[in-house]
Amino acid sequence: MSDMTEIQEPKEVGNEMRGEIRRISSHSRARRLAVSRMMIALCAIALLVSAVPLVMLLYQLFKQGLPVIDKAFFTTLPSTPSLIAPNATGGVSNAIVGTLALTIYASVMAIPVGILVGIYLAETESKLASSLRVIAQTMAGAPSILMGLFAFSFVVRDLNVGFSAIAGSFALAVLMLPVIVISTEIAVRNVPNTLREAGLALGAKPHVISLRVVLPASASGIVTGTILAVSRAVGETAPVMLVIAGGFTNSWKPFDPVSALPLSIYENAKSEWPSLRAQVWGIALVLVVFIFVLSLSARIWASRKQQVKN
Amino acid sequence: MTETHSGTAVTASPNRQAIAMQLKDVAVSFNGRTAVRDCTFDVAKNRVTSLIGPSGSGKTTLLRALNRLHDLTSGAKVSGHILLEGTDVYRGDLTVTELRTRVGMVFQRPNPFPTMSIYDNAVSGLRFNGIKKKALLDEAAETSLRAAALWDSVEGRLKVAASNLSGGEQQRLCIARALAMDPEVLLMDEPTSALDPIATLRIEELMTTLKSRVTIIIVTHNMQQAARISDDCAFLLMGEDRAGELIEFDTTEKIFNNPRDPRTLDYTLGRFG
Repeated sequence: MSDMTEIQEPKEVGNEMRGEIRRISSHSRARRLAVSRMMIALCAIALLVSAVPLVMLLYQLFKQGLPVIDKAFFTTLPSTPSLIAPNATGGVSNAIVGTLALTIYASVMAIPVGILVGIYLAETESKLASSLRVIAQTMAGAPSILMGLFAFSFVVRDLNVGFSAIAGSFALAVLMLPVIVISTEIAVRNVPNTLREAGLALGAKPHVISLRVVLPASASGIVTGTILAVSRAVGETAPVMLVIAGGFTNSWKPFDPVSALPLSIYENAKSEWPSLRAQVWGIALVLVVFIFVLSLSARIWASRKQQVKN
Repeated sequence: MTETHSGTAVTASPNRQAIAMQLKDVAVSFNGRTAVRDCTFDVAKNRVTSLIGPSGSGKTTLLRALNRLHDLTSGAKVSGHILLEGTDVYRGDLTVTELRTRVGMVFQRPNPFPTMSIYDNAVSGLRFNGIKKKALLDEAAETSLRAAALWDSVEGRLKVAASNLSGGEQQRLCIARALAMDPEVLLMDEPTSALDPIATLRIEELMTTLKSRVTIIIVTHNMQQAARISDDCAFLLMGEDRAGELIEFDTTEKIFNNPRDPRTLDYTLGRFG
């Protein structure tokens, strides 16, 4: 019998404690519930505050942009209004062609180099790698006008190329490069080491593993980062305004002066003609839709890659 | 040869079979700190040799020294001699890539290449080593998948992503991937620790059938597994300086029934570890 009581005693203590815990927890439940509801309300307000400017911006963009967009907007070259024809603004085909050309040339220059450097940074540990990383991080934070100044003094003046698409795309490539390098490094570092070891254990040389195991496994991250870098460059005015000379032709040639959508916005906004100023919204709308399509494709690509993995 | 530490590493060649690998006073250290030492034993051909011992006794570290997987770890140093068919794998004229094609490995967690199909995984090692001929790859894929007892369940879906397979199937795919290189030795680092009991059983059955074509060295935490499947057994234990060392090497039967060292008996009876 004495054994029995000895066993029961701690059990009663346990029950007492459990009761105490329940009492306290039910007591505080109402308070915790109130705090939780308050936090949810605060989150909702924060969401609203951040969404309102965005919605207003898009509303303005569509409201003022859509009316000035027609077929001629895409297909004709700009013209200068006169007192006789104050609304003869022409289209912005030169800026659309220019932006596409700049984007393509800049991508061709920056993407291969950026991806290779990113892989190098992720896969090796050396003084060169860590200095390159510091440079990339500094460049990523540098003001974009610097890239324009650099392209002007180096490509336009020193190399004597002149104002051209190639100079503008060089500036954009320099702008994109650090973003691609950093996002590639992160994507490659995220590839589990067990996969590299699996490759090594099969007798593969390190560069074979990088190309055939690590690169495919990190492709979705690399592509996402790259497209984000491209869409950032597409919208930049500062780096190109100093070097492309705002050409008035639909030229795809790398050594011709070209225009660009952001530059047209800047130029038109300064104009004394109300019709040209109104056109700004249409150009902005085209630019936003272009960037939206780019980043949407990045997201779709990333989620599709994810599905393949699962 | 340096002299072994006194009072440790009671070793013997428990059989008269041909020898696949020889370990002579092997030690591995990281940045000057010894992780495992005093490993001297012979791995007999076409047998399963298990490495057992509690956590921290250096089983996996020792196993990874056998195919030079420590090479890329900075600060790692392997001393002593590891011989593959009489050639020193660290000092001989065997290149590290050639060594790894002759000594395959299966890891603790199934690690098929996630972006490759079942077929591509099976022949990945061959492709990494420059083999492109389709007929050769097809044949290697079928032979190795059959050897890994996976062919019947994947024959119709070779182009499907390897990540669609179950954990046990993925591990058998990893075994097939290693077998496709036609290695002489297969290192297995706790190959069933991430698998359920049924998948584990299938891998164990597989090992028993595989030993006719490949010598197997397996690290396992599971003493029943070591007793069930291995022919020879090395028992490692962490010493006072936290470095693992070989306590005893013998046939599995002797290690489990009649070991020479009392610590071996304590461990196999489950008194510690």
